[in-house]
Formats: sequence, C-alpha cells, structure tokens
Amino acid sequence: MPLTPYTGPFGTAELRHLLRRTLFGCNNADLAHFAGQSLQQTVDALLTFGPGPAPTVKNYWLDAGAGPDPTLIDGAVPFGSTWVDTPRDPDEEPAVSQKRIESFVAWRAGLLVQQDRTLREKMTLFWSNHMPVEATTVFNPDMLHAYDMMLRGHALGNFRQLVHDMSVSTAMLLYLNGYLNNVFAPDENFARELMELFTLGEGVGYTEADVQTAARVLTGWTIQTQDGGTPILPATIFVPFLHDSGDKTFSAFFNNTTITGQAGPGAGEAELSALLDMICAKDEVSLFICRELYRYFVHGTIDAETEAEVIVPLAELFRQHQNAPDQMRIVMQALLTSAHFFSESVRACMIKPPVDLVVGTLRQLDFPFPGPAQLEAQYAAWLQVYALVAYCGQPLFQPPNVAGWPAYHQYPQYDDIWMDTATYPARNNAVAAILWTGFTTDGNMYEAASQDLSFQVDLLAVVAQFSDPFDPNVLVHEATELLFTVPVSQQVKDQLKTSYLLLGQQFDHYWSDAYELYVNDPQTTDMTAQLVPLILRWLFNDLRGAGETQLF
Amino acid sequence: MDRRRFLRTASLATIGGMAVRGFSSPLLAALRARDLNDRVLVVVQLYGGNDGLNTVIPLDQYDVLSQVRPHVLIPEAQVLPLSGLDGTGLHPAMTGLRDLWDAGKLGIVQGVSYPQPNYSHFRATDIWETGAHHDQLLNSGWTGRYLDLEYPNYPAGYPNADMPDPLAIRVGGPIGPGLQHQGLSMGVAINNTDDPLDLSGHIYNDPLSDACSGGKLGMVRTVQNQTDLYGDVIQAAAQSACDHGPYPTGNAPGAQLAQALKIVARLICGGLKTRIYWVSLNGFDTHAEQVVATDHAQGVHAQLLQGLSDAITAFQNDLAGLGLEDRVLGMTFSEFGRRIVSNASIGTDHGSALPMFLFGNQVAPGMLGTNPEIPPGTTYQTNLAMQYDFRSVYAAVLTDWFCLAPEEVDQVLLDTYQPLPIVDPAGCLSANVHEQHQRAGERLLEVYPNPFVERTTVKYTSHGGRVLLQVYNEGGQLVTTVLNAPVAPGTRTVEVDLGPLPAGVYYCRLQNEARQQVRNMLKVR
Repeated sequence: MPLTPYTGPFGTAELRHLLRRTLFGCNNADLAHFAGQSLQQTVDALLTFGPGPAPTVKNYWLDAGAGPDPTLIDGAVPFGSTWVDTPRDPDEEPAVSQKRIESFVAWRAGLLVQQDRTLREKMTLFWSNHMPVEATTVFNPDMLHAYDMMLRGHALGNFRQLVHDMSVSTAMLLYLNGYLNNVFAPDENFARELMELFTLGEGVGYTEADVQTAARVLTGWTIQTQDGGTPILPATIFVPFLHDSGDKTFSAFFNNTTITGQAGPGAGEAELSALLDMICAKDEVSLFICRELYRYFVHGTIDAETEAEVIVPLAELFRQHQNAPDQMRIVMQALLTSAHFFSESVRACMIKPPVDLVVGTLRQLDFPFPGPAQLEAQYAAWLQVYALVAYCGQPLFQPPNVAGWPAYHQYPQYDDIWMDTATYPARNNAVAAILWTGFTTDGNMYEAASQDLSFQVDLLAVVAQFSDPFDPNVLVHEATELLFTVPVSQQVKDQLKTSYLLLGQQFDHYWSDAYELYVNDPQTTDMTAQLVPLILRWLFNDLRGAGETQLF
Repeated sequence: MDRRRFLRTASLATIGGMAVRGFSSPLLAALRARDLNDRVLVVVQLYGGNDGLNTVIPLDQYDVLSQVRPHVLIPEAQVLPLSGLDGTGLHPAMTGLRDLWDAGKLGIVQGVSYPQPNYSHFRATDIWETGAHHDQLLNSGWTGRYLDLEYPNYPAGYPNADMPDPLAIRVGGPIGPGLQHQGLSMGVAINNTDDPLDLSGHIYNDPLSDACSGGKLGMVRTVQNQTDLYGDVIQAAAQSACDHGPYPTGNAPGAQLAQALKIVARLICGGLKTRIYWVSLNGFDTHAEQVVATDHAQGVHAQLLQGLSDAITAFQNDLAGLGLEDRVLGMTFSEFGRRIVSNASIGTDHGSALPMFLFGNQVAPGMLGTNPEIPPGTTYQTNLAMQYDFRSVYAAVLTDWFCLAPEEVDQVLLDTYQPLPIVDPAGCLSANVHEQHQRAGERLLEVYPNPFVERTTVKYTSHGGRVLLQVYNEGGQLVTTVLNAPVAPGTRTVEVDLGPLPAGVYYCRLQNEARQQVRNMLKVR
C-alpha cells in the first residue's frame, strides 16, 4: 500500500506549512516566489539543488600591536581565500584550529540565513543530527568542514553511500575512536553506534556479539595527518596489518552471515562494503530512517496508525529505491506530498527547534546582513547567529552526545524538550535581541569597510511589504500571519490593534493618518507620527511573546 | 482533572500575573516559615558510564586485575585506603570523598545494576531515570512519580502557600525523563540563577483549539507561566545572604558541577522547599585514553573523579557551614559501569554493574555489598555480577529519606523492591508531612468578587478545629482578623469590608490547624 498522496487544496496555508518545515521560517518573498505553483511543482523545486556553496574563507588575523594583520596567523592562506585546501602548520596550533573552526561555524550559520529555497540546508542538518560529530571532541576544522560538505553532497542521495562515506570520514573515525580500532585492540564504539543510532536502531534484535564482530570488520581504518613529516590535510587510510583478517560470523538476526576475512590493501573496503550490504538488507533500516525523517519533518509521536499508514509505506519506498542515486529525494518527495503531511493532526504541532526560531525570525524580518563587500562584518554577524542558536539550546555541531538532539529521539517528550523553563527565557531573549538590538561590529577590523557597522531590523520595510499597511486591521492581520504559526481570532487582533497601533484609541484613522505622515516624511514634526517606528516595535515585541510564535 | 486535559484546556487564570508579584512580597516570605524537616535529595548524574573498578578499587583482587586490565590499572600503592575497610580503596584523585568517608558521611553501594542490563547509553540512561524493567518503556521518571505521589494536584493550583517553590530543579541542563510524569515536567530547569526570567510581555491569548496545535500551544503557555511564576522565588532565594564556603572554579576539575551544586546550596539556604535537585557531570564514556599511559593515576578519568569528589566535598562542607547538613541527601548514578577487561586504546568499553555513592549526614556510612569479584577465565565479554538492583537504592531513599510507606514505595517504583539499609531511618519515625503535601493545591479559600471596590466575600473550607482568617496588606501588616474560632468541617462564606482602606493588593490568609492557604485580593478605587 503506497503512501496516500495529498489531493486537497494547496492554498497559502498549505504552502506556509510546507515551507516552514522545509526552509527556516517562511517570509513574504518565499510565498510570492511559489505563488500559483502546484504542490508537485513546489516540492520538485524544493528538492532540486543547484551547485553547492563555496567553501568557507579566512576571515581572521592577529594584532601584534600594529593593527590587524592576517599574515600573522595561518599565513599560507590569504585573507578572504578559502583555507580548506591548505594544511595547518602544527607550530601554530591550537590557534589556527580555533580560528578556522570559528570561521567554519560562522560560514555554516551564514548558509542558513542566506539559504536558497530548497531543502538542502535543512536536510543537511537532519543528517548532521542523525550522524553527528561533536566539534569540541573532533576539534579539527578540516575534518569538520569536509564532513559537513560530505553530508550536504549526499543530502538527498543514496543512503548506503552516505553511510559508507560517513564510516570512513576522518571526522567520524576520530569522533567514535574508529581510528584506534585495530586487530590488537578492537574498539567497538563506532560499530555500536553504526547499528544503534545510524542504521538499525536500538533493540531490534542484533546482539552484543554482532557489535563486537562488526568492530572487527572495521579494524584497520585510520587517519593520516602528515606525510614524511610534512603536514597534510587529514586523510582516511586503510592499514592492512592493523586489520583483523579472520572470518566474521554474525548472529541469526543477520542470518548467520559470515564476512570472509580478507587481507591486503583492498580488505578494508571489501569488508566494509559487505558489512553495509548485510546491514542495509535488513528492513529495520528503512523503518528506522523513515521514523527519524518523520520525527524531524512531521511530528514527534508516531502512533500505531501513523506507523502503519505512513512509516511502513515510506519504508517500502525507501527499500524499493535503495540502489537509486537519489533515493532520499524520492522518499522526501513522497513524504512532503502525502496527505498525512498536510493533515490537521500534524500541522503547527511541533515546537520550533532553536535554529528554526532564530534563523526563521531573521528571515521573516528580512534582517539586513552585510554583503560580500564586508566580508569580515558578514562573518561576525553570522557568528552572532550561531551564538544565538546555541544560546537557545542548540549549539550546532556540538550536540549533547552521539545520539544527537534529544528532541528527535527522547520518548515521550520529543520536540517539547526544546522548550522548558531554562530555554524559554533564552528563546525569548534571543528573539528580543534580534528585534531590539541587532548586530554591531567594532572598530578594530582588518577591512575598513567592515568597521563600526550596525545592523538593525527595519520594521517599516517589513510592513511596507504588506498589502495595505495604512489599514491597521490589515497590518495586524498580516503581521500575525507572518509571525504566528496558528491563526488568532478577530478579538485578539482587535485587542492588538487597539493597544498598539491605535494607542488605546477608538478609530482606525489614528493609525492611518500617523503612518501616512511618517512614510511621506520620516522627519515629520508631528508627535504621533514620530511614534510610528516605536509603535511597530511595541507591536512586534508583543507578538514575539505569544506562544503562537513557538510552534511550526 | 487529568493532567493532559489540564494542559490542553486549563485557563491559566488561576495562576495569573498577580501571583508573580505576590510571591516576592515580604509577607509571603514571612509566611513561608521554613520547615526544617523538609528533606532534599540531590541527584548527581554521571553521563557516559563510569568505570567502577577504577573508582572503588577491589585491592583484594589486585593480582587478577593487573592481568585483565593492564592498560588502565591504578598503581596499588597510590590507591586511597578506606579506614576500617580492608581490601577496598578509592581512586587516588578522590581525596575529598575519602575525607567524607572518614567523617562518616559517605556510603558506597557495590555492584548496582539490574537484570538484563542494556549497553546502549540512551536506553540504559532511560532505564535508570525511569526505573523501568529492561523490556518496559515508561513515560514517567522515578522522581517524577514520587513528586506526583507527594503533590498529586500539581500543577493545578500551584504555586501555593504549602508549596510556593518548584517541586524539583534541574541545574545546568535540560529536564530529562527522570523528572517527567506522564508528559508533564515535574520540575523547572535553570542554567544560572542570574538568568533573566523575562515575562513574555504578550497580553492576549485565544482559548486553545481542539487540534493537535492547540495542545502544543497549551504546553508552550504552561512553560511560559511556569517560567514566570517560579522566576521570582528562585531569584529571591538565590539572592539571600548565605555565607558560602569555597568551591572549585575556573578550569579546576569539576568546576561546572561545583558551580551547579553551589547554586543548589544557595537555593536550599535561601529557603526553597524544593524536594529534588538534579545536577550532572559529562564525559565518563572513556573508550580511549582513560588514563595516561605512563601514569595510570592521571588522565581523563582521574580528572573526572577528582572533579566529582572535589565538587561533592565542597558542597558537603558548605552545607555543614550553613547548618543544612541534616536536610540534604546526595546520590550519584551513571547509566552503567565499564568492562572488566581494558582495551588497548587505553580505555574501557561499556559494562554493567558499578558502585553508587550516597553522601550526607544521614547516610548510613560504610560499604554495602562486597568487592566485585573478577570471575576466573574473564574475557573481553565478561561483566561484573550485579549485587543490588538500582531500584532498591531508590526504594531506600523513598522509605528512609522521604518517609514513604511500603505501599507508596511500590506505587512509585511500579514494583516491589527491598529498600537497602543505606540511609538512617530515624528521621522518618515521627513524620506525617504527607497529608499536608497531598492537600496542597486543594483550594480551601476563595475570594469573590476579586477585584472588588469595598466589600467582598471570602469562601473557606474547614477540616474541623480552629479557623483563623486574616487580611494582610502588601507590606505584610495585619489589617484585620475576620475570624478566629473553632469551625465544624464544611465550606462557609463570610463577608469582608475593606471600605476605609486604600486601594491595592491584600492577602487573605486561612489557617486551619496544620493547613494554611493564602489568596491575593485586589481592591480597586
């Protein structure tokens, strides 16, 4: 039985729902972009990726007393050029690693706020949660960047290929001790998580012995960081004499499969391949991954009906296309066009993860970030975005552990975990900071163009995009549509209008007159009209405090 | 009313904005006379699975240990001996806990685990926090169920005069499954008592819809209100002038845990009636480089244990200095121990049974159980035998610390576990605080209309005995005594006239024997 496709109307409400779950927030320009397109056309566009992003660049310098000087640190890389192809000088460690990791996370946050209208960034973060590495454990910018690029490259690709490349990535080898796993001392850390967290799921029937046997299959892979004493970019290598060349026999769960022990330079790849074939042949993989997708994109709780009507057919599709190079695109296409995805039982019924709250708010309010001509300011602002998301409880690339964020796996709370009495004030403060404070750069910058800048939300520009900002009813209505995930009653909108736009007065023309005076002459001497920017800020400040902004 | 339904439909009118201001008033601070019998449990969670064999070291098996775990074994001469206990010692980094042992404030329970142990961090953590059987999935934690038993009306009608404070506080991390009860968090989480607890500022709310999003929105609003309601009491407690002892700070091992425990000490000293505090220390998953190859007494695990030991000792000494030692019991746990046989990554893989520490003045000092035995023919797969079920430790805490009756302990742990003799039961012999806690949230006192202009009606419930009804002003001065007489059980009304008094906030207080409640009154114009 295939997944039931959605055949109902595809209006603005449905488009908003689709975009909130696939992009970070949904703004008026996004709506305009997709206006008039069918669900199929919209989803196809969301799942069609252009070329990937340019790599992160050097935005750092040292100041030895004569002002900022990029040649004083990581000197082989010119300011503004990418560092990802240049090995680090061990004599400069850990300073260069710190700077590069900062550059990486800023760039990464930048990719979120300037995302194109595709699923790429959200899907990359999905994998980055599903198969996470912790930046402070890996603490290697080259590995972190390569890992992120690898996940992005396979975001809608073939699952087995993704697991393969993840297994031999330098970042994962380091993170879960795979690089120390050898015939003399098997380390089962990676093998366990490969089964438990990355492919099969915990408790489905594989045994402790299977974990230990898989660890033996994976022996011999390690990381090379220098060549004859010269530092090189970290590379994965297979060292035959560290590999366990004995036969590996698995439990009845894997049909007592024996992976024949091999020796020589091709042994690692051959046995890894056999291991992944054996694991991916289990239906549990498709079910587990489809549940993970569901909890990330649709809803936290999976009841028996959803399991039968959504997970099982989606998993069947996953298996049917398990050799397709775009397997995950096919699966996501089916999920995002399914009747279930648009049902009332899941709409607006998740707590926004911090990244959606912060990046979504920035996009909804058209936050004016610096452009490429102010590279240093741009990276500084992006780093602030990273910090805000982290402050709200989701430091990207630093999940609490190898299981990723609890909101995607912790029964029975799931996404509710994002919002507790510690994180709620942080979420509230973060959005307030975007609305009231914005970002500033300081005077000590290498680039003159980046010095002493201030970037603020322009609420007048935001409401100018509304259909009729002169009418306070329209303004309030469209502001709630923009920021709230569920509609509010006319009574609430009337209260907001009267309290803020009319300053407690009775007649709509108080707002219309003041707004008209102000937009015609921002230097107006009319005292009421001078209040217009502040009034908008009060209104938006109230809106941000509503529970309706916390859902998506 | 069932909790889920409350979350979905309850209007938050019962805990409106007025209460926020009310609870920071001098009057309520005075009314909240601290009951020194109120007992506190501090749970210290060690994430990652602690290597018990290198924590509490069975010296009597040193020979066999040196064969099976050569990569990580602590040099025999450096192991800290435990006075009065031959053949067992502590990791050399734990001088603090050794001192607590000497002072009779440390208990060790050996070989704690459960049947069919799980070796997955996440499932094993879940089992420890919920108290589930190996094949059982529970949607409530063991402390969550205890708090539900003690405060069955929560969250309806909370905070109230009996329990003005959070039932539980998680410091320095999110609330895990342990403090959940059927989808409801029984505690609040704080990272820092200086965090601003910002009132959202949003004024107008629609009623919740029946859709899925309506339930979710109700949850959001509940958190918003909890945040605001408890923000004041937490900050007030944190700011109270208690003279704290020194704690590890900066880059010292365990500084983060120490700072969390210091916050706990501040809040206890500041008068919170909170029953459970939950703190944690990360990093015990020592698959590789657990020790320094050239000096096994140094390394990651040594730093972790020193941090744990120093932080707990600082906390215990601080409590002693503050005169709070008799009210606080501490307990450490980790989701599992580690394998007997070490690996050549100079680490240890996931194992099963491990020791737990209990600390405090009321701990029955000593070691329960025996040194773990390294079985003959131990291989990489061999695990230590279980001596005690972890739920028997919980049963002991519930029985001898929180003074529950045996059937109540069963109700919390969802099965029968024998309590272990690890806490001095003397303090429970005369306890009857339950009735009071269980009545908390029952509304014995109503004021209507409210706000009012001159006169209003007070409706009160007597459980028999003397009833005292008083009105206080916002500054804590007694304005009038409405009633002070024996009243037969039942609900009655009495009219109160505040006509001559200025407009403002007043408090109506009911005392009926051990029960007392307070309601805000707002007199306008």
